[in-house]
Amino acid sequence: MADVELSGLTKRFGALAVVDRVELKVAHGQLVCLLGPSGCGKTTTLRLIAGFLEPDEGTIVVGGRKLSGPGSALPPERRNMSMIFQSYALWPHMTIRENVAYGLTLRRLPADEIQRRVAAILDVTHMSQFADRYPGELSGGQQQRVALARALVVQPETLLLDEPISNLDANLREEMRFEVRRLHDEYKYTTVYVTHDQAEAMTTADLIVVMNRGRIEQTGTPRQIFEEPNTEFVARFLGGTNILRGRRLGGSGPEIVDCGAIKLVCERGRGTGETAPVSIRLHQIELHRSQPPGDGRNVAPAEVRRQVYLGATRDYLVALADGTELRAVTPSDLDIAAGTPIWIRLPPERCRALAS
Amino acid sequence: MKAYRTGLLALALSVAAGAALAAAPAPSPLTPQLIEAAKKEGVVHFYTAVDLQLAEVVAKQFEQKYPGIKVVVERNGSERLFQRIGQEVTANIHNCDVVNTSDAAHFVRWKKDKLLTPYVTPDIADNFAADQRDPEGYYANWRNTLSPIFVNTKLVSEAETPKSFKDLLDPKWAGKLTKAHPGYSGVVMTATFQVSTALGWGYFEQLAKQKPMQLQSATDPPRKVSAGEREVAVDGTEYLAFTLIEKGNPLKIVYPSEGTPMITSPAAVMAKAPHPNAARVFYHYIHTLEAQQMLVDQGGLRSVHKQVKEPSGRVPLSKIKLLPEDAVAVEREAEAIKRRYRQIFGT
Amino acid sequence: MARRRFDPSAPIFALFALLLAILVFLPMGWLAVFSVRGPDGAATLTYFAQLVTDDEMVRPLIVTLIVATSVSTLCTLVATPMAWLIARTDMPFARPIRLLVMASFVTPPFLGAVAWEILAAPNSGLINQVYRLAFGLGRSDRLIDIYTVYGLILAIANYTFPYVFILVANGLDRIPSDLEDASSILGASRWRTAARITVPLVLPAIVAGTLIAFLQAMNNFGSPAIIALPAGFHTMTTKIWSMFQYPPQPGMAAAAAVPLLAVTIMLLHLQRAALGRRSYAVVGGKGAQARIIRLGWLRWAALAYCGAVVSAAVIFPYIALILTAFAKTLTITWAPEGFGLGNFEFVFFEFSSTKPALWNTMLLGVMAATAGTAVTLIIAYVTSRQAVPGHRVLGFLATAPIAIPGIVFGVGLFFAYTHPPLVLYGTLTIMFIAFLTTELPIGYQQFQAAFRGIHIELEEASRILGATRLRSLRDIVAPLITTAVVSTWCFIFIAAIRELSAAVLLYTANTKVLSVVIYDLNENGELGAIAVLGLLMLAVTFAVVAVAYRLPRATSIPTSA
Repeated sequence: MADVELSGLTKRFGALAVVDRVELKVAHGQLVCLLGPSGCGKTTTLRLIAGFLEPDEGTIVVGGRKLSGPGSALPPERRNMSMIFQSYALWPHMTIRENVAYGLTLRRLPADEIQRRVAAILDVTHMSQFADRYPGELSGGQQQRVALARALVVQPETLLLDEPISNLDANLREEMRFEVRRLHDEYKYTTVYVTHDQAEAMTTADLIVVMNRGRIEQTGTPRQIFEEPNTEFVARFLGGTNILRGRRLGGSGPEIVDCGAIKLVCERGRGTGETAPVSIRLHQIELHRSQPPGDGRNVAPAEVRRQVYLGATRDYLVALADGTELRAVTPSDLDIAAGTPIWIRLPPERCRALAS
Repeated sequence: MKAYRTGLLALALSVAAGAALAAAPAPSPLTPQLIEAAKKEGVVHFYTAVDLQLAEVVAKQFEQKYPGIKVVVERNGSERLFQRIGQEVTANIHNCDVVNTSDAAHFVRWKKDKLLTPYVTPDIADNFAADQRDPEGYYANWRNTLSPIFVNTKLVSEAETPKSFKDLLDPKWAGKLTKAHPGYSGVVMTATFQVSTALGWGYFEQLAKQKPMQLQSATDPPRKVSAGEREVAVDGTEYLAFTLIEKGNPLKIVYPSEGTPMITSPAAVMAKAPHPNAARVFYHYIHTLEAQQMLVDQGGLRSVHKQVKEPSGRVPLSKIKLLPEDAVAVEREAEAIKRRYRQIFGT
Repeated sequence: MARRRFDPSAPIFALFALLLAILVFLPMGWLAVFSVRGPDGAATLTYFAQLVTDDEMVRPLIVTLIVATSVSTLCTLVATPMAWLIARTDMPFARPIRLLVMASFVTPPFLGAVAWEILAAPNSGLINQVYRLAFGLGRSDRLIDIYTVYGLILAIANYTFPYVFILVANGLDRIPSDLEDASSILGASRWRTAARITVPLVLPAIVAGTLIAFLQAMNNFGSPAIIALPAGFHTMTTKIWSMFQYPPQPGMAAAAAVPLLAVTIMLLHLQRAALGRRSYAVVGGKGAQARIIRLGWLRWAALAYCGAVVSAAVIFPYIALILTAFAKTLTITWAPEGFGLGNFEFVFFEFSSTKPALWNTMLLGVMAATAGTAVTLIIAYVTSRQAVPGHRVLGFLATAPIAIPGIVFGVGLFFAYTHPPLVLYGTLTIMFIAFLTTELPIGYQQFQAAFRGIHIELEEASRILGATRLRSLRDIVAPLITTAVVSTWCFIFIAAIRELSAAVLLYTANTKVLSVVIYDLNENGELGAIAVLGLLMLAVTFAVVAVAYRLPRATSIPTSA
């Protein structure tokens, strides 16, 4: 097991920098998610780590060994890594057993050792009874488990996963998320996991790296990324949020942003420049039938535009005096009809000023 | 008879006059050493315009007589062979050992171009009249044939049977004629020259209006008439017709009253024959009485070998009026004839 | 950028690019040179001037256009309904009909033309004989005369319509029936759905098929050589060929090849446009079974229609060849004593060209198929995996010969290799080059499709587990590509053994192939021998096709969404 270190990693396709000066350190045994929309450079980063691509600038060092740099990239087969592909890439002409044993055969292990280890991993992944089937005869979830087994059985230094469960349907996806985490906890490989699904990243990752346009927007634990987004992009990409824009009023205390219809004291985050976006999660907005008591900070009149009953919660669309629309989620027993004038409060400790 | 002799003689004389007069080499006997050397070569390539099936019979009989020497027959129309040999020589390919075409003019050209080697066998020296071979021994007449008119006896009654080339211009024959092509066939090349000399090109212009079915090889018209595809053939090889008639095909030969084209068909050994010894043994063989008599009996050809006997039932050459032959003129006008023919007949 | 490691893919690329460039552009370059070089060596445009002014040249050009236009129209009108009937209706015996269409597809057109000579010669043709017999008519009455322009059109169309059929049938297969169901649910009748939804969706395939049929007809040499010459007219291909007869007119031949080349390139562009504008990858196709339209009693009419077409293309011609092969005399008499094995005896025991031609044909077929498969396999791999810079150039070069008609390529090869420094004329090598180059596009397209089906991640999965590139090729790619390799080999082999139009310009006595022998025999009127050799050729072809068809379809390969 080893730590993975990317420094100044850059890959261009033509003039476009698909991966742009990426810096990342993955401690060994850690599971890191590269999270971002399609085209953000996360898969390219993974393929650079795997050695399928050669960087134009920067280096990749794994366990103290430099694997990639411009003009010199160790071929993938000599990196002692494993990878799980979006398509699973199970070889259709080999049985499940043969698929799983292949990596061990390449390592020239004795036959009985191969048999033992294949049996063990198939057991762990609950695939023993399918050992002699062909991939075409398995369901998507089963294929996924085989792909996991095949990648894990070689005991790689580093495990790479490229959107491994995005092809599954919703129920299976949820199950496999936990499965990936369970297996990681069991084997503790240094793992780099690429996904565009924030829930997937939340449930599996030790560390989430949010990427956008080839660059890292923010690195942090799932909790940090969710609760303390540094940029509007991160705030928006991870779950529902409201973004209000306003002028920074400055001062030495907490950030105060004047959004026109409402002046927001943001006890968290700090903006840059003249204006700043302010993020507040949907469920953190308070709705009041009458003006709430207290210091009156971050309170404004509003009107309910629309509400939807969702069982456990209600989803509200409210508008401020200047027409700015905000979404709020409340317990379902708060029932205010559309068109009703109300008061809203955005608690200062929940408002986060972001870099613009 | 006299006419065609004059032709070849004129050809021989003109060639003789053109070059410094050289005598033919003395006849070379067929020695065991030559046969042995030929067997080492094992194969002889025979480019010929004679009908394919007959060529294969010649080959078979030679192979039986000289086991160990295989004959590869490259049968094609005379004009195609002429073109092909020219093309091969240009590309410095020497594949042909012994050549035979039905256009004597070719041999005039090849001799000029030094593609042939002088070689005379005892049979040629003794049994082929001087006017049937090149005075310098470069080639000798291998076979003769006529290009008469052919009629399908099932489709054409005795009374209706045309008697002359001119008869064929009768409108009743429109769409019922067939003929071969001078761009392919040496027989038809020579025949076209002779008929156009005798009757003028106007004859062909009128013939074209009858819309004859245009074939390529001179061996094809008697076949198409036999098969009943057309009633009458304007030209074609007489020898194949004999064979077809003997096989029971409803075919009849008519020697036109204007005279029948007579085509001499020489053979020669190539100067750069890849199998020079086998070539010579084969050249010996094809001029022997045995081979010549076979050509006449089985092939229906005419032979000028002095000892060959004409089978009964065929009209002897002496009873047929022949059109005059002039190989030198054919050589000179070959391209013009082909062009003119293309313009008149469209292909 | 830092120093690069030595990359072996660069020389491989250079080698293949050079090889392909020589194969394709050397002959075409010489063709261009000869077309503008006068007898004195100076540049001239007289040949091109002659092309548009000389009646001897203009007439074949017009005939060719008439023939190609008629053939493509006829093929489209005949094959489109056939494809629909077989793909979308409950017409009985659809499978045998489909197989017979494939038989027409692999029948060499020149052989079909000979068979049609036997069938439809105005007097001796079997059809006309039966016709006269049946109606008690006189000799001058005939149903059909093959030695005419329309006879030629018929003879070519019989072996060209499968191109339209295959394209349209594949197009229909790719339309998910949901699209048609969507129309039905909105209240459209079956016929209205067919007219408003199905036909517009396959229209690009129909257009593409029509263009391909046009090209096939225009560049066909064998059929007009057999039918047009006796009828007394030329098409462009036979005219070009005739210019290689004595006295040769190479410059004129080169110039005459240019219009064929130009029209071919233009139409291929049009075809790409026709297929390319609308995407065929219809969204969300779960591949529901196409809904079968019930024809009711009309299905028997449909069968009669399809049966008539395949009878004209395959059943009657094959019967004619078989009868001729066994007939003793030139007239086919129907009495049993009129038949024997004489033609077989002649072909196999007397005819000295049979053995060398058979040997040359098989040798060339195997060599061209093997080399063609190997070369296109590597090129398709390189281009599909984008393994080397400039891979697009390779792809272009491998596809380029598709735009060069066989006879035009023959002319080019003739010029390129008949004079120093590369004298290959008269060798099997020049025939090999001709067959290899003309068949490259088939192989390349086959493998491109095959590699598209083998997701690159399958290889990467093996690499990352520790296999080198070569090892991955051996363990992963090779087993998955086997089917494509065998079927490509078969395709090239079949195409090579029937090639006539380039071979007829390049062969010498030593390098004769079966197609040329058949062609020569035809000029000699030896129909019996042709029938025997033709049946032999068909037997070999069908054996190879059977091998290709019996291959297991590749096991379902999971591909990414």
